[in-house]
Amino acid sequence: MAEDTGNKNLERKSIGSELIIPVAALLFTIYYFYTIIDAPWTAQVAAFIVGSILIVLIMLFLAKCIRSIILGEGTLNFDTIINPKSFLIKRLGLLVLTIAYTFVVSSLGFTITTFIFLFMAMLLLSDGHKKRFIFSLSLLLSLGGYLLFIVAFKTRFPAGPFETLMKGLF
Amino acid sequence: MEYDLFFFGELFIHTFSYWWVIIPAIFLGLVVGAMPGFSAANTIIILLPLTLAMKPEVGLTFMVALYASSRMGAGIPAILFNIPGTAGAAATPLDGYPMTKQGRGQQALAMSFVASISGGLFTTLLALVALPWLSQVAYYLHSVEMIVIMFFGISLIATIAAKDTLKGLIAGFFGLMIGFIGSDAVYETPRGTFGFLELYDKIPLIPALVGLFAISEAFAFIEKQHIALEDDQGAVPRTGWTQTLEGVRIAASKWWLITWTSLIGLVIGVVPGAGASIASFVAYQQSKTFSKTPELFGTGHVEGLIAPESANNGVTSGTLVPLLIIGIPGGATAAIMLVVLQYHGVTVGPDLFMNNPELAFGPFAAMAVTYTLMILTALPLARYMSKITVVSTIYLAPIIISFTLVGSFVPRGYLFDMNLALVFGVIGFIARKTGYHVAAILIGVILGPLLEMYFLRAMKMSQGDVMVIFSSTIGNTLWVFLAISLAIPYIMEYRRKKRNSILESND
Repeated sequence: MAEDTGNKNLERKSIGSELIIPVAALLFTIYYFYTIIDAPWTAQVAAFIVGSILIVLIMLFLAKCIRSIILGEGTLNFDTIINPKSFLIKRLGLLVLTIAYTFVVSSLGFTITTFIFLFMAMLLLSDGHKKRFIFSLSLLLSLGGYLLFIVAFKTRFPAGPFETLMKGLF
Repeated sequence: MEYDLFFFGELFIHTFSYWWVIIPAIFLGLVVGAMPGFSAANTIIILLPLTLAMKPEVGLTFMVALYASSRMGAGIPAILFNIPGTAGAAATPLDGYPMTKQGRGQQALAMSFVASISGGLFTTLLALVALPWLSQVAYYLHSVEMIVIMFFGISLIATIAAKDTLKGLIAGFFGLMIGFIGSDAVYETPRGTFGFLELYDKIPLIPALVGLFAISEAFAFIEKQHIALEDDQGAVPRTGWTQTLEGVRIAASKWWLITWTSLIGLVIGVVPGAGASIASFVAYQQSKTFSKTPELFGTGHVEGLIAPESANNGVTSGTLVPLLIIGIPGGATAAIMLVVLQYHGVTVGPDLFMNNPELAFGPFAAMAVTYTLMILTALPLARYMSKITVVSTIYLAPIIISFTLVGSFVPRGYLFDMNLALVFGVIGFIARKTGYHVAAILIGVILGPLLEMYFLRAMKMSQGDVMVIFSSTIGNTLWVFLAISLAIPYIMEYRRKKRNSILESND
């Protein structure tokens, strides 16, 4: 009996997850309309046409979602986003590391930040195994990236203490 | 001046003598094309001191070879990792990546290379012959006609996301609204910018591309050990040269598809600003519409991979047509070529064909030679490139995230763009998990600013009358084609269902 209920829940569509994009689109469209309210007509027309079509589409989708909830075909959960739960911690950890990367790279520069990020992210995903290999790989990739992009291609990457120190050499 | 076979023959032989410039440019182009954020245009800018120091025809040959090979290179990460190297390859992963996941990465790369090389070579030779007529296309397309073409692009979204058209349309129109962010072209009023100065100049395309495809995909594929299909023990089956040869054979058997989809690319490439992204999506949609097996599109279908790849390489030769004939570059790379030519005192236009035909036809000859040399240089690489899909996702995901994230910083040099890529990454991840096609959002972001620009122009000309979009004969003809193109999939689906029900009732 309990298994049946579980299977039924699995079969049901995760409406909560499916509503994230339409709700975000709706909120953004309303905000966009607010920012063009005083603009000249010619500058509003494209956004009003496209935005209005988008709102109609979202309303149609909402109606479809409500119908599937009433018919018992869907539930208001977020399972599609969260599942598989065994990877949730790793995924959140990777997200935190990625956010940290975007903030730290401005002060530590490309090479050091990339090394730290690669090392920590690979360690997280491998459950802490192969520490030495991951350390060497992270070092090799960050230095390789520095040589290829900054030294060879002269690409404008975020600079930090390492790049400043090496500037005298290359 | 009369151009005969002898003239073109001599031109090709002369261009072959520049192999020492073309071959390094091919490899460089494959590398920069494969890295999101590193376009051929950026690389040519970096190497500008080198190209300016060369003789005009050598510099031009180098740039053309780099441009053509980077277009092909952009398909490599699109097939192997679901990360298009440029927006022009955004339609490639729709069927290329599922093939990789099925363990057919090598075959997909070989097919993509054959489609790119054949499509590029065919359209280059055709452009060479039809140069005077092709140049006329750009004269007939004004803002009203371009609006219809943009809507054509948007309508593709519904077809691409065939599993749920409504979701596809929501994703596409959401992308369009995101594409409207920034100051408007006429009044410079900031719209939808959330107060960020960095967004006044529209949504930058590279962070959107990096976030929607690379970051979101990296977060999604950590659930698997490898990208490629695994056996029961979690290992990836080994393959030799068989897959490459099979890929070549399959692509060669689809020669007609390559021919007509590359023609789509050539015609769209002639229109300044239209670009490879539109061409590849148009080709994808059209090949699906006329396919005998449209239901297989999106599942790793050969036709779904060949069509966009031959079309975006068809664009490459198309963009050179308005550049050389009327001096209007069809894209960023063509614009840089114009700068280099002007630096050398070369004036493009009809006079160039009269006074210096070797230089005028030279870029097309260089492109044809590049595509020919790619058969020998790039095609054998498919086997080795595909090996990367057997690398564990433990290592691939962090590498992809860090290198593409920092790649989004490159075009403008704003740290803000890295955060923007992350935001797009989150949107892309949710979209992927919930069945909203990320390609639909991206095509919206690409077309949004273009659609708005043409709308503004049309509104200005008509003094605010919206009905102007139905005021041109060509435009109205295109509207009819658009309606037909939207209706055909439904008609074909209806006919298929009817046929099946008749067959079932007979059984």
